[in-house]
Amino acid sequence: MLEFMNRMRRTTPLWVKIIVPLVGLPVTAALAFAVVFVITAWLGKPLPVFGFGEGPEQPIPFPHTAHAGTAVLVDTAGMARKDAQGNDLHGVGLDCAFCHRTVTQSASAGIPAREQCVTCHKVIGSADKDTLARLRELGLGGIEGAINWQRVHRLPDSVRFVHEPHIRYLTTHPAAIENSPDKTIGSATSVTPAQVCSTCHGDIATMTKVKQVEALKMGQCVNCHRDNGAPTDCITCHF
Amino acid sequence: MVQPAQQIAAHHWGMTVDVDRCTGCQACVVACQAENNLPINLEEHFHQKRAFEWIRVERYWEGEFPNIKARFIPILCQHCENAPCEPVCPVYATYHNDQGMNVQVYNRCVGTRYCANGCPYQVRFFNYWEPVWPEALRNQLNPDVTVRSRGVMEKCSFCVQRIRRARIEAKRDGRAVADGEIQPACVQACPTNTLVFGDLNDPNSKVSKLRNGRRAYRLLNDALRTEPNVYYLARVDNDEAEVAHG
Ligand code: HEC
Ligand code: HEC
Ligand code: HEC
Ligand code: HEC
Ligand code: HEC
Repeated sequence: MLEFMNRMRRTTPLWVKIIVPLVGLPVTAALAFAVVFVITAWLGKPLPVFGFGEGPEQPIPFPHTAHAGTAVLVDTAGMARKDAQGNDLHGVGLDCAFCHRTVTQSASAGIPAREQCVTCHKVIGSADKDTLARLRELGLGGIEGAINWQRVHRLPDSVRFVHEPHIRYLTTHPAAIENSPDKTIGSATSVTPAQVCSTCHGDIATMTKVKQVEALKMGQCVNCHRDNGAPTDCITCHF
Repeated sequence: MVQPAQQIAAHHWGMTVDVDRCTGCQACVVACQAENNLPINLEEHFHQKRAFEWIRVERYWEGEFPNIKARFIPILCQHCENAPCEPVCPVYATYHNDQGMNVQVYNRCVGTRYCANGCPYQVRFFNYWEPVWPEALRNQLNPDVTVRSRGVMEKCSFCVQRIRRARIEAKRDGRAVADGEIQPACVQACPTNTLVFGDLNDPNSKVSKLRNGRRAYRLLNDALRTEPNVYYLARVDNDEAEVAHG
């Protein structure tokens, strides 16, 4: 063995000795990266590279911070924005269900019609804002005026999800309220729908661009269903 | 372990088919086709015996012309309690749930077709092709029902999407599901009320009363003991004593 290696050392040309590690190391690294990427993607949380782990580009970049959040708004440079009197500008803190109207009633949460945006944005926001100008000029009514929002959360076609039972359970059931991620509501006997969305969607109110935070894999659904006495029959979700 | 979210009302879904009322109009077949996103059957599919009909109306001639009678019997998945299709599935893609339904989980199915071979009623259908619809019909697909891809077995589901929706809405409104509130597409379309669907656990439901009547029988049950949840009501003729099918 030793003799063989010595012979190799003597006979291998110098350029091979240089090339092999030069090529080999990056290739190994790339392969290792690819493996890690595939595994994380399979688990539903791909490494945040190449735009994975980010939400899709929306036709109008809609900031949940300004609408659903209450924190101070920042401009592109990261500075707190001020109004004419020099006070900090805050998000308006709208209820999630104000826009996602059907979330407490039906399967889908629903995205607000553009008419609803325009009721505010007829006046709110300066006229030179490109995005808002687009919002206004699309004109009311008609299918042409509709905004082609890109889906962020989407389960495979073979899965049926319903919001209504989840919101009802999470807002009214004592055990759910106690385990709620939002600890400030621990003592209340009931919470508002807006306080439970984070269970599955993360803290949307702080997102300028919505992205999927939870993997929403079958294991998550079934674990919670099992722990909370909800049905785990396959046909609950697959039909 | 926290308290259960819901006390699942013990439903047991079942159907009665009154053979005496069936006129063979095929409305149920069409309704089912539309509701459940069934692919369109072309003539060649019938020749190959690969046509999809979750519910079909079989026609029999009785007697000789001119004293001839047409007999119709709608046949759908019988949702057997002892279903021959279930134990043969190697991946548990078909199983019996706690509500008396024989369930097919499409995304679990790997397409061995054992279940279809096991089924004495011939009500399971295999997707030999990727389903296609003409452009004009794309938008009529039912969003509540998965479009099955090639290589997957499918069959009558008792329109489970309607059952689930009715139950979720009843729960939302804090009431029980009323008898007759859930209508599978075939039941809804039937002009002569041949088909009746409901909860067999509820002794006062229409379907319970019918299946407890004297005319009720079950297809092939005497021979095979499959214990279907679909009950047939035998034909009553005025002129002759009627022999039941099966
Ligand atoms: C309750 C009133 C209200 C409604 C309804 C509303 N917005 Fe806003 N929107 C605001 C306020 C307030 C701001 C913050 C204004 C600012 O940044 O100067 C804002 C900011 C925005 C901005 C960021 C503007 C910028 O470039 O800084 C966009 C884009 C926007 N809204 C789009 C929409 C869309 C799309 C809808 C409909 C889904 C909508 N808004 C509905 C009140 C509203
Ligand atoms: C002013 C109206 C408005 C309010 C208030 C609002 N949203 Fe939205 N939301 C939208 C619009 C418009 C979109 C589509 C654009 C996008 O995805 O960014 C959206 C998208 C989303 C999505 C992604 C949908 C998808 O495609 O999967 C989620 C999740 C969501 N909102 C949750 C929330 C939650 C949680 C709140 C409360 C904290 C909230 N929203 C408050 C208007 C609103
Ligand atoms: C139990 C987990 C869960 C909770 C709680 C939840 N969501 Fe969702 N949400 C989902 C899933 C899963 C999807 C994807 C549904 C699909 O693809 O069919 C989704 C999709 C959405 C969408 C986009 C599609 C649609 O239905 O219109 C919006 C908007 C949304 N959720 C808003 C909300 C809001 C607002 C709340 C809080 C009131 C909320 N969700 C609470 C799991 C949840
Ligand atoms: C936070 C825990 C939780 C998570 C996560 C969750 N669920 Fe649920 N789900 C429940 C509870 C509790 C119920 C029963 C509510 C009731 O009816 O009282 C329920 C009910 C349902 C129902 C209606 C059942 C019926 O009565 O027919 C469906 C469908 C459903 N969940 C699908 C899903 C899917 C798909 C996911 C994964 C994306 C999911 N759930 C994730 C807790 C959860
Ligand atoms: C509470 C809801 C829920 C229940 C109950 C449930 N599933 Fe799922 N299932 C999901 C969701 C959500 C996905 C998609 C996300 C994923 O790939 O994990 C999924 C994915 C799957 C997949 C993968 C499909 C694919 O294309 O990769 C299979 C197979 C599957 N489920 C089978 C089953 C079987 C069999 C049962 C009954 C024992 C069952 N599921 C019960 C929610 C559920």
